[in-house]
Amino acid sequence: MVPATLAKSLVEICGRDGVILDEDRLLVYESDALTAYRHRPGAVVLPRSTEQVQGAVRAVAEHGLPIVPRGAGTGLSGGAVALDGAVVIGTARMNRILDIDAPNRRAVLQPGVINAELSAAARVHGLYYAPDPSSQTTCTIGGNVAENSGGPHCLKYGVTSRYVTGLAVVLADGSVVRLGGQGREAAGYDLVGLFVGSEGCFGIATEIEVGLLPVPEGVRTLLGIFDRIDDAGQAVSDIVSAGLLPAALEIIDGPTIRAVEDSVFAAGYPTDAEAALVIEFDGLKAGLDEDVERAAVLCERAGAREVRSARDEEERIALWKGRKKAFGAMGRIAPDLLVQDATVPRTTLPAILRGISEIGERYDLVVANVFHAGDGNLHPNILFDRRDEHELERVERASKEIMQLCVDSGGTITGEHGVGLDKKHHMELIYGPDELAAMWGVRRAFDPGGVMNPGKVLPEGAGGD
Amino acid sequence: MIDSGVDRVVPVLSVLPEDRVLVGESARDWARGRSNGPGWMPGDPEVPVIVFPASVEEVSALVRVANEKGMRLLPAGLGSWLGGGGWTHARDVIVSCVRLNAVEHYEPADLTLTAGAGLGMTELDGVLRPNGQWLPMDAPGADAGTVGGLVACGVSGAMQGRYGAVRDNVLGIDVVTGAGRMLRIGGRVVKNVAGYDLVRLFTGSRGSLGIITSVSVRLFPRPETDVTLCYAGRAAEMAALAHAMCTSSLPVAAVGLEAGNGDTICTARLLGSAGEVEEARSRLIDNAGQEPRRIVRDDESALLHRERAAWEEGSALVVRLAALPDRLADTFERARVLAGALGGGVAADALRGAVRVKASPDAGRDEDIVRALSRARGEMEEAGGSMTLSQARGKVAARVGWAGGRGSAPALGARIKELFDPASVLASRCP
Repeated sequence: MVPATLAKSLVEICGRDGVILDEDRLLVYESDALTAYRHRPGAVVLPRSTEQVQGAVRAVAEHGLPIVPRGAGTGLSGGAVALDGAVVIGTARMNRILDIDAPNRRAVLQPGVINAELSAAARVHGLYYAPDPSSQTTCTIGGNVAENSGGPHCLKYGVTSRYVTGLAVVLADGSVVRLGGQGREAAGYDLVGLFVGSEGCFGIATEIEVGLLPVPEGVRTLLGIFDRIDDAGQAVSDIVSAGLLPAALEIIDGPTIRAVEDSVFAAGYPTDAEAALVIEFDGLKAGLDEDVERAAVLCERAGAREVRSARDEEERIALWKGRKKAFGAMGRIAPDLLVQDATVPRTTLPAILRGISEIGERYDLVVANVFHAGDGNLHPNILFDRRDEHELERVERASKEIMQLCVDSGGTITGEHGVGLDKKHHMELIYGPDELAAMWGVRRAFDPGGVMNPGKVLPEGAGGD
Repeated sequence: MIDSGVDRVVPVLSVLPEDRVLVGESARDWARGRSNGPGWMPGDPEVPVIVFPASVEEVSALVRVANEKGMRLLPAGLGSWLGGGGWTHARDVIVSCVRLNAVEHYEPADLTLTAGAGLGMTELDGVLRPNGQWLPMDAPGADAGTVGGLVACGVSGAMQGRYGAVRDNVLGIDVVTGAGRMLRIGGRVVKNVAGYDLVRLFTGSRGSLGIITSVSVRLFPRPETDVTLCYAGRAAEMAALAHAMCTSSLPVAAVGLEAGNGDTICTARLLGSAGEVEEARSRLIDNAGQEPRRIVRDDESALLHRERAAWEEGSALVVRLAALPDRLADTFERARVLAGALGGGVAADALRGAVRVKASPDAGRDEDIVRALSRARGEMEEAGGSMTLSQARGKVAARVGWAGGRGSAPALGARIKELFDPASVLASRCP
């Protein structure tokens, strides 16, 4: 609970319906989609404008409380958890698309706009917004900016930072800075690029300018079925080495296939297969047949027992279904799921997958893999029951070993979910004291008082306190 | 003047052997031969000192000595972009990283490469070509420089719309900061959100925060087919054609406009599989309603674009005008007026709405140049765009300013500079 004077100020700034103080309603905000971390915020503020964000930031800072920015709360790293009675500033009501400038293929929007709604609005102009995280029907663009979100089609099109061209940011002192902006040459440091992926530690983006792409004329989707996951990994390497650039290359492993097929999301994948590889090409219709044919041949050479090709949109949706519904289907097998996220060099995928399987066996845990194979971005998901304390401990140890394995192969601890609260202690697996001190320094350049999202991303001690 | 150069060599020699230090005439020859821009022009009083460290440790030692002795260092590769960073001349020691040129890691199937910052872009292309890959970063003058220089300058070229900007394709860097810390940031995987994105901060920082010693980049498959359509006609007509090409849904890799003494030339580059390129070619011509003056293919097409990227080479004054792409016709016209005043030429990257102007060597008196540039900047900023200097002599740059008044968040920039280079030993500035 925040002091009464602060509550009063916040109500004055954002209106009675823009401030949540009721303990029961605050429960909704106690975690993000990584439910392992739960802390109830002191208050939640839902401003509608940049000016209201400024007012709220100043009021909270005056009371010496920390601030946690939040979009839709779909993050998977505990980044939006309010530690120490922090005040959450949620952007849900800042959900207006301010401009779609079709001739220049750009849009200007408030941070609370839902990712898929931006694409839907742009589609009228033959355009769309490329980054497509799995949560795109619920996650916000502001959240995507904070996390530098990816998605299946980032293999060809790149992640959020490629598309963010300008920002208005409210800093911890309540001032607004405007960074970047299309139509003029960049001057000074790339502060837009630096802000994207800063996980709410630098400020709150209240206006976002993004680039849009023309909707591809044609899309072709293939599904390769493999008896060995190594062969699927090999097919991925062969496709990329052959100079093909699919829009997406996704692998679903055997345990995941069986979870999906046992669920209401059954996609018709053979349950005795050890991997399914979804391959998608897009672009001019004229070039697609050739690409699809070459990819199908490479799958067969790598050992695919079967390669299916979608003939229409309905079949395409069916082929994707197993991938898109994988996380939902796992709920049938175990009550809890630890969604991991790491990136490895693509060529190490077969060895890493074997290693993960071995770790799972050693700890007697089911590990199901569904991931962006083309980017080498793994999601080993550990299934467990948190009520079993011994199992929870094994999950934590296995998870750490998986991270170490990925780092040792030349990889990194997160490809798209962010560090947040969950992985801040893994940062020392990849960075030394000097790098961490440099990151602390940059954070302080934006937020000298440590008001914005404290306790996230950087481990304390490495130049931080 | 020679004496001041010798004085500056003394602390450097405690770090590097004599044969890796150039001073006086030989240094001036190196700079004059390499530099795209003004570098050392006849009559300049400054005598440069150039050093060539061969390891990260030597770079680090140089930075340490610079901090101890109050020396100022100017990071460089081959020196091709030294005229573009607003460097300060007096008492600077140029640190060229050309000896840090090893390919440290290259796994073609990963489409990533790690190399010393001093690896030349031409040499890099020689490594990638046998594997059917490339780094399609075609910034002006990039061919003449190093991969570290490309990253430090962060300037993108005409293919940015297709392949992303330089900053989108740098995966990691090793850097020695002005404070002497050796940082290894980012990595060599294509998706990485571990911690704040310092890679983007250093990309395009022009050596003002640190000396980049190694870079990891994302590579692309080299396209099977490369075709360029070349149209020619009146400036307004070609600008309209270029804009129409940019807003079509066809996958055009680059659209250029070039104006000199005669007709304005509009070029559209298509890259991809044979089937895709053929289809796009046919539909672009249908949309244009006219046959191109000529069509060039593969090696000839690649050469044409390499020449275009090198278009400003050797010019002492290069200016960039930018506005939103749908303002291209206006921007191009303003650029033509400016080029008329400077006796030079104009080349545009239509997809981004950016237009370059280069001045002729006898562009006139500084007074007249400054007046023309200031007027162009005022007009561009009034129209919501910008005018920046890419290459300029120190006196002109000092009076006009490298960038206009639209630099974002100067206080944040200053705090970041203070963080990485507290004693300001790095002479270069990020305009």
